Amino acid sequence: MVSLFLKEDNIKVSVPNGKTLREVARKTGASMEFGCRVGDCLTCVARVKSGMRCLNEKSDKELIALEVLGGDINELRLMCQCRIECEEGEIEISYLV
Amino acid sequence: MPNLTEKISSSVDFIGAFDPKIRTFDIIMKTANGSSYNSYIVRGSMGVAIMDTVKKEFSAEFFERLESLCDYEEIKYIVLHHLEPDHSGALEELMNRAPQAKLIISGRAVMMLKGIIKTDIAFETANTGKRISLGDKTIEFLSTPFLHWPDTMSSYLHEDKVLFSGDVFGSHYYDERLFDDKVGDFSYAFKYYYEHIMRPFKQYVMQALNLYNRFEIRTIAPLHGPILRTNPQYYLDKYEEWSSEEKFRKNTFGKKMLSVFYMSSYDNTHKMAKVIMEGADTIDGIVASMYDLASLDEKNMIDLLEESDAVIVGSPTINGDAVKPAWDLLSCMAFLESQGKVGASFGSYGWTGEAPEMLHDRMHWLKFRLPVQPLKIKLIPTKEELDDCFVFGKEVAEITMGKMVEMEMEI
Repeated sequence: MVSLFLKEDNIKVSVPNGKTLREVARKTGASMEFGCRVGDCLTCVARVKSGMRCLNEKSDKELIALEVLGGDINELRLMCQCRIECEEGEIEISYLV
Repeated sequence: MPNLTEKISSSVDFIGAFDPKIRTFDIIMKTANGSSYNSYIVRGSMGVAIMDTVKKEFSAEFFERLESLCDYEEIKYIVLHHLEPDHSGALEELMNRAPQAKLIISGRAVMMLKGIIKTDIAFETANTGKRISLGDKTIEFLSTPFLHWPDTMSSYLHEDKVLFSGDVFGSHYYDERLFDDKVGDFSYAFKYYYEHIMRPFKQYVMQALNLYNRFEIRTIAPLHGPILRTNPQYYLDKYEEWSSEEKFRKNTFGKKMLSVFYMSSYDNTHKMAKVIMEGADTIDGIVASMYDLASLDEKNMIDLLEESDAVIVGSPTINGDAVKPAWDLLSCMAFLESQGKVGASFGSYGWTGEAPEMLHDRMHWLKFRLPVQPLKIKLIPTKEELDDCFVFGKEVAEITMGKMVEMEMEI
């Protein structure tokens, strides 16, 4: 299980490998905001403050979308594109970018 | 057309279109005075820029105005401050007529462009600080997202001190006299537009105002309604005032507000509402209130929802559905920011009892934070069940006050 902390919602949830963050949002009632849900609109951009290694890698499509924002995008992810890919670890996510 | 075009400043002319007959805009807005789709031409020593186009069915009017002021070969740039169809309707045709022109859109508009124009076209993106030159005229771009489309940007013409604000500062108000000092009283339309279009994006309005405040603004050229040239600061101040209003309870009493909205046919859902409110009200920092949806009009619903940090909605189940006033309440969220609000649902039922789950689902899509499962009780609540209601209200209130929620997802 990966321990995921959603900072602004103050939710700590244990998540099994393979779950998407959309599933996590649905289950926990977290307020992370999704728009198009396919990685186009940038509504769900969030900062992974720690534990990036526990998430799937950014696809080319996600990278192109994030580059539109400019600046350092290393810690940024589109929540709609994220899936837990790890058996053990800790992740902290902030919706404030 | 009494005036084919209208001079806005030494190098800017109005080339938009008027829609005096429109009475409903974007399905949700009433437009008693019609509206306009404002478009502008900026002329510099080395070419012209076209700032936005118009709704497709008004293309002929737009092109007639444009052709009276320039040849298509002179167009160096076409700027779309956002891609909504009422401003991008003539874009494809304009690009056919001026193929050498560079299209400038915001970064966030890139993914939308293919949805609007079904063919590949060349474009450049602009973020805050990017400038384009027309020789002796310089246009600087400002990223002002979510006002009211994700891709919205604004721009500023330095030499003439004109702010092209996109839909910000717009009004649905048709009047061919065009300028704020010449048209009729459009103050209600200016505020109505803010309340229906910009109110859900207050934090983004404040960000945009910070950018606008960097510039000396002589004229605001919005995409709908009168051009604001008499005292632009007045309109900037109005937007700041409306967007920075603090919540009354929080501001006045230092408390968070939890509102229980309910409908009840046999008093059972009402009994639940009352005890949920009492449970919530035991938590320090919370002021809990309850409202019978049968007697709330839409304006009150919107104001109460905006004021509330937590929203708990109760409905009985009638014919497998929540009752209409509960749906009406949640439909008011279209006018508000919902991010960060805590939500919950409950209700008494006789037979199937879907209403609380249905309301929970709806609130999920409205981006409420929903940390507790819906609470439903069959018919008349027992004392034990009312105790559950008390705990339910208390739990929602504690989470609203910042209590951490810990949970585990199943594999």
